[in-house]
Amino acid sequence: MAGARVVAAHVSRRYGRALVLDDVSFEIAPGELVALSGRSGSGKTTLLQLLGSLDKPTSGTIRVDDIEVEHLAAPAQFRRDVVGFVFQLHYLLPSLSAQQNIELPLVAAHVGRAERTQRSRALLEEVGLADRARALPADLSGGERQRIAVARALAGRPRLILADEPTGALDSSAAANVWKLLTDVRDNHGATVIVASHDQALAEHTDRALHIVDGRLVGPADTDERARVIA
Amino acid sequence: MTSLIQTLSSVRHRPGRTFLTAIGTALGIATIVALLAVGAGAQRSAGEFFHLGASDIGLFQKDASDPTTSVLPTSMIKQLERVPGVASATAFVLLVEDVPHNPGVVVFGSTPRNFQVDRMVFSAGHMYTDRKEAVIGNGTAKQLHLGVGDTLTVKHRKLRIVGIYHIGVAYEDTGAFIPLHVAQSIAGRQGEATTIPVALKVGTRPSQAKKAIKRRFPGVTVLTDSDESIRLGANGDLVSKAALVIAVLALVIGGIGVMNTELMAVIERRSEFALLSAVGWSGRQIAWRVLVEGVVTTFIGAAIGLLLGVIGAHYLVKILGASEFVSPHITAWALGRALLIGVLIGVLGGLYPAWRAAHVSPARVLAQH
Repeated sequence: MAGARVVAAHVSRRYGRALVLDDVSFEIAPGELVALSGRSGSGKTTLLQLLGSLDKPTSGTIRVDDIEVEHLAAPAQFRRDVVGFVFQLHYLLPSLSAQQNIELPLVAAHVGRAERTQRSRALLEEVGLADRARALPADLSGGERQRIAVARALAGRPRLILADEPTGALDSSAAANVWKLLTDVRDNHGATVIVASHDQALAEHTDRALHIVDGRLVGPADTDERARVIA
Repeated sequence: MTSLIQTLSSVRHRPGRTFLTAIGTALGIATIVALLAVGAGAQRSAGEFFHLGASDIGLFQKDASDPTTSVLPTSMIKQLERVPGVASATAFVLLVEDVPHNPGVVVFGSTPRNFQVDRMVFSAGHMYTDRKEAVIGNGTAKQLHLGVGDTLTVKHRKLRIVGIYHIGVAYEDTGAFIPLHVAQSIAGRQGEATTIPVALKVGTRPSQAKKAIKRRFPGVTVLTDSDESIRLGANGDLVSKAALVIAVLALVIGGIGVMNTELMAVIERRSEFALLSAVGWSGRQIAWRVLVEGVVTTFIGAAIGLLLGVIGAHYLVKILGASEFVSPHITAWALGRALLIGVLIGVLGGLYPAWRAAHVSPARVLAQH
C-alpha cells in the first residue's frame, strides 16, 4: 500500500472573526512521517481536521493524491477509504470489545464478516494485544486503548494517518509504544503519517516537522527552533 | 447484521436508560392491549347478549337508544311465526339492575317452555311452574351463595328459587329467569317484551328471513349476526373507540417520550457519533443505528407491555366490576396491533434523534474533547 501525497495550498480557516489558520501551504511526500508542532491553540488540530475532511477550509485547496478534499461530495467515504484518525482520547465505543472497535471502519465499508475478523485479528497481533480481543475498553489500560485506536485507524488500510496528540494522555512508556507503532505504520504499511504533538520525543521519530505559530506555518526549522516551539 | 449486533451491545450496555424507555413503552402498550381485550370481550358478550344464545335472529324495537329500553308487543309473536322460514319465536323481558346489591345480574322474564330455555341443563331442581318461583344460573348461585329453596329478590318481589341451571351463555349463566308475566309486572309492561328471539327452520338463510321480517314489521331492528349485535352493543363499541384513542395517544405520547430519551442519548453520545463519522460512517448509517436502537428498545417494551396488558385486562374487568359478564378476549390481531404500535413508537420517536445524530459535527465535537 502506497502512502498518499498531501498538498495544501494557501489554506485558511476562519471561525467568525478568529483566523485559526492563515495561508498555510506545504507538500508531504508519500510515506513520510511528518510532525506538526506548535503551542496549544496554534491551529494543529484544525489543520488535521481539514486534511481529513472533518472540516472545510475557508479558502485554499487541499489535495490528497488526486482528490480535492474541500470539494468532496461524500466526505465520509473519503475518510473511510483514504484516512485513518488517531485522537488524543481513544474514543473507543464502551459497549464494544477491542476487536469490534477495530472493525468499525470495516462495518461502514460493508466488508464481509470473515475478512473483518481476519483483518482485525491481524491488527490486534500487530499492536501486541491479540489476547485482549474480547476485552471492553473499560478493562484496558490507557496505553492499550490507544494501541487499539491505532489499530482501528489502520483497519481500512488508509493511505494517510492523521494523529492528533496520540501520546498526550499516556505515560512515557505507553507513549513510546505508540510512537513505535506509528513508525511501524510508516515502515510496514507505507502510509503517510502526520502527527500533531507536544511530545518532547517528537524529533526522534519523525522525518521532518511543520511548525505552526498562531495559525501560520513557520518551518521547516532546525532542532533548536523545534525544541523552542514545543516548549 | 453486525450493525444490529453492535446496536444490541449498545442497548445492553445502557441498562438503566433501556429499562426506563422500555417500561414507558410497555405501559402504553399494556394499556392498549388491556383495552382492546376488554373491548373485544365486551363486544363478544354483547353479541351473546343480543342473540341470547340459541336464537338465529334477535328482534328489537327500531332506533331504541339502548337495547334494554326496546319495547315490542308480544302479540306479534304469532304473526312472526307465520313468516316464511321462522320456526319459533318467544318473548323476553330484560330486567337490568333490579337485583338489590347485585346490579350485574340480568333477570330474564320468559315463559317456562320455549326453544331458548329448553336448552337449560339443571344441576339442581327444575324449571319454575308457579308465578312466585325463579331459577338462577350457576354463576349467580356461586356469586350470591344461593341455592334451591332460597329467595331471590327482584325489585322488592321475593321469588323462591326452584332450580339452578347452566346454559353456556355468560349473561344467562350469571343471570336469573323468572316467569314472563312477573317480569312484565315488575317492568310495568304488560303484554310487551324487550326482545323477541327467533329460531329459523333448518335450511333458511338468516338474511332471507331478515328481509321477510322487516317487510312484515318495518318498526323492528332485526339482528342476524354478531357484527350487527356489536353495532348495537354500545358499550363494547365505546371501549373499542377508547382503545383506538389510547392507541393514538400512546403513539403520540410514547413517540415523544422515546424521542426525548433518544435525544438525550444522542446528546450524551455525541462523541460516539462524531467518532463513527470520523472513521467513515455515513450520516445514513449513523441514523440507521440510532433508529434501530430505538426500535429494539421499544420492541422490548412492547413485549413486556403485551404481557402486562394480558394480565392487566383481567384485573381491569375485575376493577370495573364487570368480570361476571365480560371476560377479556385476547386475539392475535390485538397483540399484533399492539406490537406494531410499539415498533411505530420506536420509529417515530427515533426519527428526529437519528437525524440529529447523523448531523453531529465531528470536527466540533472531537475538538471540544
